Amino acid sequence: MSFIHLRTSSAFSLKYGTTQPRDLVERAAQFESPALALTDRDGLSGAIRFASACLEFGIAPIIGINLAIDLLADPNLKSTPAKDLPRLTILAHGDGGWRALVRLLSGLNMNATDRTPILTLDFLQRFSQYSTQLHLLHGPESPVSQALMLHRSDIALEIFNKTRSLFGDHAIDCVSHLVAGSGPFSTGHAARSLIFARDHDIDAVITNAVRMRDAADGPVADILDCARQLVPLHQRHLERRNAEGYLKSSDQMVSLAAEIARAAGERTPRDLLNTTRQWAERALLSPQRDLGLGGIHLPEAHIVGADSASAMRTLLRTRCESGINWRYNDSATINKARARLDDELATVATLGYEPYFLTVADITDMARDRNIRVAARGSGAGSLICHLLGISGVDPMQHGLLMERFCSPLRRALPDIDIDVESARRLEIYDLVFKRYGDTDWKSPQALSRCATVSMVDTYRARNAIRDVGAALGLPAMEIDLIAKSMPHIRARNIEATLKSLPELRSLNLSAPLTAMAISLAQRLDGLPRHLAMHPCAVVLSDAGLLDRAPVQFNASGYPMVEFDKDGVEEIGLLKLDILGVRMQSTIAHAVHEIKRVSDIDLDIDAVPLDDEATYELIQSTRTLGIFQVESPGQRELVGKLAPKTFSDLIIDISLFRPGPVKSDMIRPFLNARHGWTSAQIIHPDLYEILAQTEGVVVFHEQVISIISVMTGISLAAADEKRRALGSKEGQQEVCDWFFPAATERGYELTTITEIWDVLRAFASFGFCKAHAAAFALPTYQSAYLKTHYPAAFIAGVLTHDPGMYPKRLMIDEARQLGVGLAPLDINLSGSQYTVEKSETGSDSVRIALTSVSGISDSEVNSIIAGRPYLDLADFYRRSGASHPIIETLIMTGAFDRVHALSDGTINHRDLLLHLSDLTRSPVATISGSQMVFGFAPPDIAASGLPAMGAAEKVRNEVERLGMDISHHMLEFYAPFLNAIGAVKSSDLLSLRSQSQVLVAGIKVAMQTPPVRSGRRVIFLTLDDGYGCTDSTFFSDAQEGFASTLYSSSILLVRGTTRRTGDRGISINANGAWDLRAAYEKWSRQLIQQAVQK
Amino acid sequence: MSVPEVAPAHDVISDGAATPIEFTFRGKRFRIHAVLSRWCEAGGWWNRVSDGIYRPDDGARALWTVEAAPIGALNTFQLERDEITGSWIVKQV
Repeated sequence: MSFIHLRTSSAFSLKYGTTQPRDLVERAAQFESPALALTDRDGLSGAIRFASACLEFGIAPIIGINLAIDLLADPNLKSTPAKDLPRLTILAHGDGGWRALVRLLSGLNMNATDRTPILTLDFLQRFSQYSTQLHLLHGPESPVSQALMLHRSDIALEIFNKTRSLFGDHAIDCVSHLVAGSGPFSTGHAARSLIFARDHDIDAVITNAVRMRDAADGPVADILDCARQLVPLHQRHLERRNAEGYLKSSDQMVSLAAEIARAAGERTPRDLLNTTRQWAERALLSPQRDLGLGGIHLPEAHIVGADSASAMRTLLRTRCESGINWRYNDSATINKARARLDDELATVATLGYEPYFLTVADITDMARDRNIRVAARGSGAGSLICHLLGISGVDPMQHGLLMERFCSPLRRALPDIDIDVESARRLEIYDLVFKRYGDTDWKSPQALSRCATVSMVDTYRARNAIRDVGAALGLPAMEIDLIAKSMPHIRARNIEATLKSLPELRSLNLSAPLTAMAISLAQRLDGLPRHLAMHPCAVVLSDAGLLDRAPVQFNASGYPMVEFDKDGVEEIGLLKLDILGVRMQSTIAHAVHEIKRVSDIDLDIDAVPLDDEATYELIQSTRTLGIFQVESPGQRELVGKLAPKTFSDLIIDISLFRPGPVKSDMIRPFLNARHGWTSAQIIHPDLYEILAQTEGVVVFHEQVISIISVMTGISLAAADEKRRALGSKEGQQEVCDWFFPAATERGYELTTITEIWDVLRAFASFGFCKAHAAAFALPTYQSAYLKTHYPAAFIAGVLTHDPGMYPKRLMIDEARQLGVGLAPLDINLSGSQYTVEKSETGSDSVRIALTSVSGISDSEVNSIIAGRPYLDLADFYRRSGASHPIIETLIMTGAFDRVHALSDGTINHRDLLLHLSDLTRSPVATISGSQMVFGFAPPDIAASGLPAMGAAEKVRNEVERLGMDISHHMLEFYAPFLNAIGAVKSSDLLSLRSQSQVLVAGIKVAMQTPPVRSGRRVIFLTLDDGYGCTDSTFFSDAQEGFASTLYSSSILLVRGTTRRTGDRGISINANGAWDLRAAYEKWSRQLIQQAVQK
Repeated sequence: MSVPEVAPAHDVISDGAATPIEFTFRGKRFRIHAVLSRWCEAGGWWNRVSDGIYRPDDGARALWTVEAAPIGALNTFQLERDEITGSWIVKQV
């Protein structure tokens, strides 16, 4: 008979357990255990993975939880810190215990004072309806055990009786980690616990209180102990005394049981082992029946406004049909839409997903009612239902998007709808959702909610692993910092390889014993969870049983959060809706708002036709900074080559710009055909309609699905299953074995089939979901449209919401080149956001926002705005509530220029600064009321005769204090030097031939080191020189000697050879980089020397 | 109080579960008759980093307190008591 472990901590006992649940299950399966328990500390976040692993390895899960208990909890006393409290293990029994466990933990979390769940007798009494359905183990860390350690079995019994009525059953848990002495975890103590149990007729079981899979994991456990308590490695901080707390085999556990039994004076361990076995058998859970793996739980009919399942079906149909009249107006399209709608509704009805669509539509409606922009993303855009319900803005019929890619009767998994909303107003939507689906008293045992946020497991990666191990080992803080910061965001297990490949780290001595050990240990932390964070955008929606199936806790932002991550909630069939905050949506909203405010134009950006020529011309010109999805250097290169002329082109462009197609050179045949250099290769006339849109190249998942369907005659839904199978090697073989005969039967020639099969196999793995690309293309088009026709409003939106990858100063530069004026900071005119102003001449300019001032607080911005208008600096000083350094910054960046009429030259910024310091010494600030009392007039401003700021100084102030150069471009001051050395302007680069040697200069606006399969790092650098941007590429041989300059300098001079990438595209193959300031200073020193010598 | 002597024990024989059975101490062969207690200790692996090679649980130890006697010190005797006189006879077998 094999042993069943009743106590096992996985890595989801955060910063305590060393092993992933799956690895523990795998080991238990190797030992031929019929079951394994997971009893993580303080949470159930590993439960779903654990249960799925059990299903995979064919063993039964037992689930429990290990919790701290404060028996003396007295609100008037200072409570013991959680880490010093005794702990108990609670097991769910097999008959409904899972629900009780989930409820108990949620209740504990919701009532916890500082997000640490601690049991108290008072809590257990309030939640006894759940606790009495659970089984309790008193192990070596329990209060009972503490009394036994002091040889006070009378007190032990007293303590035991305190919880006796609060739980369904009790056992004494005898654990021996073969620790020296007679304390907890020693054989002596285990024997004493056993005797106590026998004396009082309590069940006794044996466990190994497992926290690691192998004895060799000990050091990892030690590092985690230190990381958890933020202490250096020392015996007194470590929980383990030896390496015995690992998952032992049956034989080992049986002989351990014999040892304990013998020490307790029992002849055989038979009773101990039998009771353990009985306890395990009572606690076996079914992953499907108990945990609900594979089930689906959508909101009930009455929640979405119907009173039965059939009423819900009717409701969905009615809503969609009214959507047809809203979206379409010619009868041919309407008929087509009706037919497609019938198909889609039939699929939805088979799956019973009506509540799903109605719920999502309900949420998008709530958002629209509040005037919050919403757009669907992902495959959901392929469904006509989504389009008709207003969830998605892209017309799936017009763009050949397929419902089957999104949702199919052949797949049981819930389809994924993601919605993009204005980033600035995302939490408003959360609040709406919680009000509608989760309005409850979360602290009550009867809490009832249909929604919650989802957690995300933050795991150890290279940087934090190095930091935690380094701190534990006592490495110098400087050294830890240096190594950690130099790490790209890679997995911890790749640290060593990465360190070897980075030239700027060669100077570090990584072979010092302590450093080498830190690195090797850091690699072992790879992927261990560190804490549960809130998933940035996911919300689960379910029925009234949500809180019976998933434990919740409050997250840092105060929303209830399911302890399972997104895969976990999917496995137990909770509808997960991603509500993504998209800055571009906020940008668009802001621009539209400004257009209305300044020009009184009601622009319905969602209704603008998708064929505006000027918009496509702007995109083709590659001046795409600020435009959604197409502003990166790589995309600017691609739009230059591809020259999108229609919305379909935009969809193709977005689909092509991913590592797969770029690497496999899908782009070239497409472009060649596109520009008419080669004719499109369409393998078979039957596929013409499918492939014509992309010049014969397979770009989209939808095309793969359609090809398979056309060639073999199977349904689109079945074809999508085949497409999914193509993702894996085995699947590919299976599809291949099926495809050839199936296509032959339909009368295709073998050569055709072979040719098509090659294409499918090659492109299926990185084809792109067209619906997803189309959903993205919409904001791309909309933002391009705004940039084309309302550049000032668009720039104001971009500067306010910062949607893109570039720093603000680049957008300022872009504004200059678009002919949009920049209005400086002004205490009476600047708001909390960037706004559009019309000048007398009718041209638009963008007013810099107060929020651009570095270090300014929200409350300062609000109080400055509330106090407007201000008469002068003294008035501002007295009433605005702004701090001294902020006022100084406002002076130096010109915010007082207008009120003090600095342009007439009588006084200047330095005079204002002197005036400010006079003000701080006068009693003005302390006088209340708006009228100046006679005799306390503020000091006068006097012209001091100090020189005014020069243009260069002004720009320097702007860059330092606002992070952008408003009055001039920074590079203007280097113009003489750049002319002297023959540097090329970015706008002139295109006139050069390929392979020309050039020097370019500029301010670093972007630097990327994308992961490359070869592992050899490539650095992409974008510089802005006031005439546009240049893109340089540093391959690994060019990084030697220049990498540190690239990382440390912000203004750079780059040398390289040009490489033409297309009609409008050119980039530089760099072979050198220098700090421009240093080079400039060297040059001007030489000039001076020459002048002196003459 | 004398300091107990610590010496490497040679030629330790142990059973399959690695429990010691016999050992040599001060040139004499001992046989273990009873294990009084046994335990394990970790060895403070972080104190041994001199060569920079990370060895898991470097220095971990398993310990036993046992009752043992030199082999040969244990003899088999036959004891005989005359039930009438109450006198004893001892003979080695």
